[in-house]
Amino acid sequence: MSVSLFWHYAPSLISGFAVTILCWAVGGALGLALGFAIALIRRLKLAPLNWPIRIFIEIFRGTPFLVQLFLLYSGGPSIGLKLSATAAGVLGLALYSSAYFAEIFRAGFAAVPAGQIEAAVSVGMAPLDTMMRVMLPGALIAAVPAIVNMLIILSKETVVLSIITVPELMYQVQTMAAETFTAFDAIFGMAVFYWLLVEAVSRLGARIEARVTAYLAQQGAPA
Amino acid sequence: MKPEVILHSFSYLTRAAATTVAVSFAGIIFGFAIGALVCAARVSRRPWLRRAGAVYISVFRGVPLLVQLLFIYYFLAEYGLDVPAIVAAVGALALSSAAYQAEILRGALNAVPHGQGEAATALGFSGLDIWRRVLLPQALRISTPPLISEFILLLKASSLVSVVGIAELTRVSMNIASETYRPLEAYLAGGLFYLAINLCLAALGALAERRLGTPSAR
Amino acid sequence: MIELAKVGKSFGAHEVLRGVDLSVERSEVVCLIGPSGSGKSTLLRCVNFLEPYDSGAIRIDGRLIGYEDKPDGSRGRMRARTLREMRREIGMVFQHFNLWPHMTALGNVAEPLRRVRGLATREAADRAMAMLTRVGLAAKAEAYPSHLSGGQQQRVAIARALAMQPRLMLFDEPTSALDPELVGEVLEVMKSLAAEGMTMLVVTHEMGFAAHVAGRIAFIDEGRIIDEGPPAHVFHQSPEPRVRQFLQTYHDRNAF
Repeated sequence: MSVSLFWHYAPSLISGFAVTILCWAVGGALGLALGFAIALIRRLKLAPLNWPIRIFIEIFRGTPFLVQLFLLYSGGPSIGLKLSATAAGVLGLALYSSAYFAEIFRAGFAAVPAGQIEAAVSVGMAPLDTMMRVMLPGALIAAVPAIVNMLIILSKETVVLSIITVPELMYQVQTMAAETFTAFDAIFGMAVFYWLLVEAVSRLGARIEARVTAYLAQQGAPA
Repeated sequence: MKPEVILHSFSYLTRAAATTVAVSFAGIIFGFAIGALVCAARVSRRPWLRRAGAVYISVFRGVPLLVQLLFIYYFLAEYGLDVPAIVAAVGALALSSAAYQAEILRGALNAVPHGQGEAATALGFSGLDIWRRVLLPQALRISTPPLISEFILLLKASSLVSVVGIAELTRVSMNIASETYRPLEAYLAGGLFYLAINLCLAALGALAERRLGTPSAR
Repeated sequence: MIELAKVGKSFGAHEVLRGVDLSVERSEVVCLIGPSGSGKSTLLRCVNFLEPYDSGAIRIDGRLIGYEDKPDGSRGRMRARTLREMRREIGMVFQHFNLWPHMTALGNVAEPLRRVRGLATREAADRAMAMLTRVGLAAKAEAYPSHLSGGQQQRVAIARALAMQPRLMLFDEPTSALDPELVGEVLEVMKSLAAEGMTMLVVTHEMGFAAHVAGRIAFIDEGRIIDEGPPAHVFHQSPEPRVRQFLQTYHDRNAF
């Protein structure tokens, strides 16, 4: 593939990359918020909500992401949900990741040693304060590695969006490949690009994890 | 909403489900074989082998599966013989899964208490025997639950091979959607089939966890 | 100040406390000793209702804790807010310290002052600093628990409980999780508290502490207090064979 040809497609590739980042960031942020909300609601143990939440999580963790996307994009109009490809893509990423984040936060809450809660109770702290000052910080810190991991997985799932014609990077690469008959080179370039990107993000993620859990390095004592 | 659509296509979907399971199963089996080799490389005493193993894992976990799949597909088209798309499909699933399975196996090997190998050495076991009789059986037992989880993940990932035309659940759902003009029912049906398969696998996984447990709990 | 009358508690089918009677006077130091599984920690945790007791009555300064006597003679659970108010007056120190890992030592001590006593940040910090100085850890105020030794963490935990100015303090095996050389610094703080007249109920294996600091010792076995009295009585003149047998192993192990 010639350099001038690549230059010609540079703008569309850059725009594709921008769309990828946008979908990942917005989808991830929504997924985190929704997953966190679900985890909090679950802790309230409201009987009527238990089953709908469990079903939600089972559906979005038990079916392929691609099927979920098709359902939203192609099946949506049948129930009055007319979404653009990008909107469907972002919504899909959000719902998909929220099910995983809900479980991650649940594990985070469970990881807070009971003793820390007992200390708060024994000193007369109100339940709201105990949650906000002891439980939540502990749970969030415990959840950081899993959250970082899931965000990386989500970044790889964005390429699936190309199948429902979201104009992200993969889609642009395939368009370019089709128009210039350079499928092999284009896909190879894409693979290398993603490999380097994921490798870089993984290392960044590891650094962030280390910083956040630094002072937990040697935990005082088990509960 | 017309549920009759689902009922009419039931046999069609069932065959597709079988294809999905078959493709995923082939992927996990070949993935195990390759993964075992990569794991052996990762724990080898030779630094270049360890490096090679690490690079393999980094590449096949870093590159999205869809990209791997298309790459193999075009690679075979460009250089290979005229092979059916199924080869690209199973190949991509296997190569990708191998990276994850290698890490699972490595984790399982690490989880076998060191003392067991040491006791065997002190008793005069040969290296090969320590592997065959002490380390491998335990590592395989420890790795079974996470491997079942990996199978579940692979099954979901197999939906991507629809893009190279394999007649598995997702592809068939797409076909039903375009033939009947009822995409909602078609994809719901496909989703339900996936769910059903996954629930069975999850039950299998839970059974495996209970029966195999942790070795030190003997 | 603390009155336990016929306190009973079961975990499912397992009866852990079988009618315990005990009283602790103001400024008294009472040590609870006994074998593992005897119920001593459970009993302690019932005093501030961390564990609910099933039968009998526990009163703090005459006030029943955990339950309310209703006008029709039956008993109902105490309102959560009332329970919290009562807990403010009871300090508790745990075997595993239970410091909050995401706060500094100062933060740990100041947090209850801000959230429970409602003090302003500055005031809470000042009071917390004074407490840390009291336990000899002023220099470690900005350190996180994971950077402190076990003995230091436990002293911070004591400061945290003390800062609330409780009327009495409960200690649940405060030195059991510590390396032997760190036990001393914690016992010193506890001794100074006793010397100042703090009412203390201590579950412990530290017989030396019990012998020298306790005003009374209660021996508990299988959910019942089978002997109690001044240290001299329990350690050397107990008529109960179970007590003598338990203490014998201590004498044997410690007489080198």
